[in-house]
Amino acid sequence: MRISKFILSLTVLFLPLGVEKLYAQEYADVPHNRYTSHGLTFGVGLSNVFDSYLSPLEYTGMEIRVQRETFRQTTFSDGRVYVQTLLNAHASATENKAGNANMYEGLLSWDLGYFYKFGLNDRLSILTGPALDLNGGVIYNERNSNNPAQAKVSVNLAASAMLLYRFHWLHKDFLLRYQATIPFLGAMFTPEYGESYYEIFELKDSGRHLVMTTPFSAPSLRQTLSLDFPVRQTLIRVSYVGDFQQSKLNSLKSHVWSHALLIGFVKNFQLIKPGDADFKKTPLQP
Amino acid sequence: MKTIRLLFFCLLGLTGLLASCVRGDDYDNDAEGNFKALWTIIDEHYCFFDYKAKTIGLDWNQVYTTYHNRLSEDMNSMQLFEVLGEMLSELQDGHVNLYASHDIARNWSWYEDFPANFNDSVHELYLGTDYKIASGLQYKILDDNIGYIYCPSFNSGLGEGNISQVLQDFAECTGIIIDVRGNSGGELVKAERLASHFTNERILVGYMSHKTGTGHNDFSGLQEIWLEPSDGIRWQKKAVVLTNRRCYSATNDFVKDMKECPKVTVIGDQTGGGSGMPFSSELPNGWSVRFSACPIYDVGKNHTEFGILPDINVSMKIEDILKNKDTLIEFARDFLKN
Repeated sequence: MRISKFILSLTVLFLPLGVEKLYAQEYADVPHNRYTSHGLTFGVGLSNVFDSYLSPLEYTGMEIRVQRETFRQTTFSDGRVYVQTLLNAHASATENKAGNANMYEGLLSWDLGYFYKFGLNDRLSILTGPALDLNGGVIYNERNSNNPAQAKVSVNLAASAMLLYRFHWLHKDFLLRYQATIPFLGAMFTPEYGESYYEIFELKDSGRHLVMTTPFSAPSLRQTLSLDFPVRQTLIRVSYVGDFQQSKLNSLKSHVWSHALLIGFVKNFQLIKPGDADFKKTPLQP
Repeated sequence: MKTIRLLFFCLLGLTGLLASCVRGDDYDNDAEGNFKALWTIIDEHYCFFDYKAKTIGLDWNQVYTTYHNRLSEDMNSMQLFEVLGEMLSELQDGHVNLYASHDIARNWSWYEDFPANFNDSVHELYLGTDYKIASGLQYKILDDNIGYIYCPSFNSGLGEGNISQVLQDFAECTGIIIDVRGNSGGELVKAERLASHFTNERILVGYMSHKTGTGHNDFSGLQEIWLEPSDGIRWQKKAVVLTNRRCYSATNDFVKDMKECPKVTVIGDQTGGGSGMPFSSELPNGWSVRFSACPIYDVGKNHTEFGILPDINVSMKIEDILKNKDTLIEFARDFLKN
């Protein structure tokens, strides 16, 4: 029984927190490191894809996107430090202006950010901090010969900032949030200007494939504007994602610009441990 | 107030970042725009400017002037295609093409200006109807116990198992003929895979480089190309490779590799060449363009863009064709038996 109790105590329990608690972390009486907010949103958008390794032209089309966020308050600095993990996955099918060629692109990005909160007033707060940004994906041009695809792999240190604004309207609480993340130092894989993947993989060419990136060589930005609001017992999130990934490396230019509208839901979790005052009240108590 | 000011400057920074969009060259989709786009694509990516300036006197800037003068605002797309196709033809490169829905612009002088040294009807008599096919390799044992392989393309799904199986069938043969006449290429790895069955050692077969920038002479250093011996069955007796001017691209590379293999003799005509690995691009109007991007050199670091000379030059004789004899195959049979 003790073992099962211990296992249960490590389980993250979903608690039907009142929908009026839009952002659980904001409650002063909440024990530190107890609440986590999970957001999951899906949506569609428009993509503009360009990679001079594949084509000198820009391709445009539709994209689908999934965004998964975990946002957690820590015990550091009297609870002013927050941790965010943000997963963005999107895929697009685009075509050239003439409409006779297609390019397919998919990118997975994962961010781990630490934020320090500056509370401006009861409603408005700013959080800023560093983030680790990992990206992996591919752009495929269906009619190219020996340059059919371009791998997109990068790791970055980024600066991220978010602005939160809470307001009450129609007897409900709303949370408006804007977040922007800009990589400022990183490394990206790229072939050399006219290099084939045959040379890289078959001949094991040791060219300049891992290139350091800065905001000048890879001026990129990922931004999200979201609105969280309650509908019955569920927290709904509607968001806009603007994702602008660009690079100028080895004389090759590339950009993937995305604008997407997403909708999904947010869940707030509370971690209950043995010894907590609320532990015996939990539904998993044997 | 301090935070607000910080926020303001951050937003200003974001605006500046967004203003620094990374974009390509913006060409209009008209005759002038498509002409400039094509000329620039070739100017920045084509890999044989220096070599062809020396061998055929190519002056790409002069080409711009010559063909730009032929543009007019009222020309239709067929006329534009003709001008652009002729401009590309100046490169004398079989890997350079312009693809439109109605036509493919090309320069096939690499074989059209030379004798075929191959006759379909006569060749069919050698293969007969009882030949075997192993993933693109057509093969049989000729009457005088010479193994004969006809490889018309390197675009098939040729695997190690296929090649080993063919060589196993030829185990008792005196020697083998690998006929790649008319084979205009395919996948480089397939060509290397076949060649790897003719060496017991790892051998240097050539070099490759690529462009590192937009300048005509912006090239990487030469990357060595090594031929690794196959883990399957490796041929230990004499072998002959039959070539003609239609041996191009990956087949040209195959011949380059085979020339370095021991006990292999190349017989026939010079190959067609095509030693630049082709890349693709496109014009604002959607026409696709292909061009040589990465040059491949032989072991002497020489270009093979205009072909590889055989070890023994043999041409088809008309009197042999009239007797339903293939001069090259007959020569190779005698060569292998002696």
